[in-house]
Amino acid sequence: MSAEMGSLAGLVHTPLFGILLTLASYQFALWVYGKSNSLPLFHPFLVASIPVIVVLPLVGVDYEEYREQTSLIAFLLGPATVALAWPLYRQLHTVRSVLTPIVIATLIGAAIAAGISVGLAWWLGAPQDVIASLAPKSITTPIAVEVVKSTGGSESLVAGAVAITGIVGALAAGPVFRLLKVNDDRIRGFALGLVAHAIGTARAFEFGEKAGAFSGLALGLCGLVTALALPWIWPWIAALLS
Amino acid sequence: MIDGLLILLFFQFLGEVVVRLTGLPLPAPVLGMVLLLVALLLNAPFTQRVATAAGTLIKHISLLIFPLGVGIVLQWDRYQENALALAVAVVGGTIVSLILVTLMLKFLMGNKHQEQGDQHER
Repeated sequence: MSAEMGSLAGLVHTPLFGILLTLASYQFALWVYGKSNSLPLFHPFLVASIPVIVVLPLVGVDYEEYREQTSLIAFLLGPATVALAWPLYRQLHTVRSVLTPIVIATLIGAAIAAGISVGLAWWLGAPQDVIASLAPKSITTPIAVEVVKSTGGSESLVAGAVAITGIVGALAAGPVFRLLKVNDDRIRGFALGLVAHAIGTARAFEFGEKAGAFSGLALGLCGLVTALALPWIWPWIAALLS
Repeated sequence: MIDGLLILLFFQFLGEVVVRLTGLPLPAPVLGMVLLLVALLLNAPFTQRVATAAGTLIKHISLLIFPLGVGIVLQWDRYQENALALAVAVVGGTIVSLILVTLMLKFLMGNKHQEQGDQHER
């Protein structure tokens, strides 16, 4: 009897348990997000985290073990990063005529978005690995996670920072655009995609199809530029900050 | 779906091969993305078939990411001493960045678009 209970309790230490918990939490979060009419505050990233955060300590599985259980899911981040070439390719076709100003805007914008958070974190005395995790916070998560692997930050921290950046950006967009009197959907979309990646892009589509397309383009280009530049530049920034 | 996944994994593998051969300090999947983008722009055979797999993976990107994010709460003792810096940099930094980027775009894109229009008329 007790042996059977023991083998039953051992179930929580299998990948099956971790993946089942992850998928169930995500499905629940999708349902909540739909019910909330896609409110950024109820983004699946936040809602899906709650059941996992509650259940893991209850069954005695620590975070490191959970990461191992769900390594199959983490593996898919690689092909998901490669997959970003597809929407980028589609968007490049639609805006080929204005490509030059867009590339310039991306280069400056990516530097602003990364520079502001790095500067603030440094000013408030955060250590280098924390700053490294914040530098790519405006780019889409799969790329940000890959970048952090080469700049020595924390994958957990960058995943959280990216998600919260997206949510804050999506929530702030309305007031900011009203304050700065922006009526151009191209600018609204591009700014959202640049600063708030995929979550910002979902918000941009609420302004219209054009805003959404520009946001998707900004997301792809900004991610690409940051991923290509940061691993080269980071050693210098790190030397400067230390 | 499977053909698309095959293409994605192939390009990720290609990225990995290039990174290992050249020692470039780039994430291999990012290089794979660049290579796939170039292949798509050159109309390489089969590459259009990534559409379904790519769309599915991107649509459910939150599923792939939130298991990383829960680490912030579950390993909070690692991060709590930097809580203020994190909160200010993430929340404040995002709002400031959004304002600055919007101003920059107003300046840059408004004007440049005019030029583009002129060129078309010529």
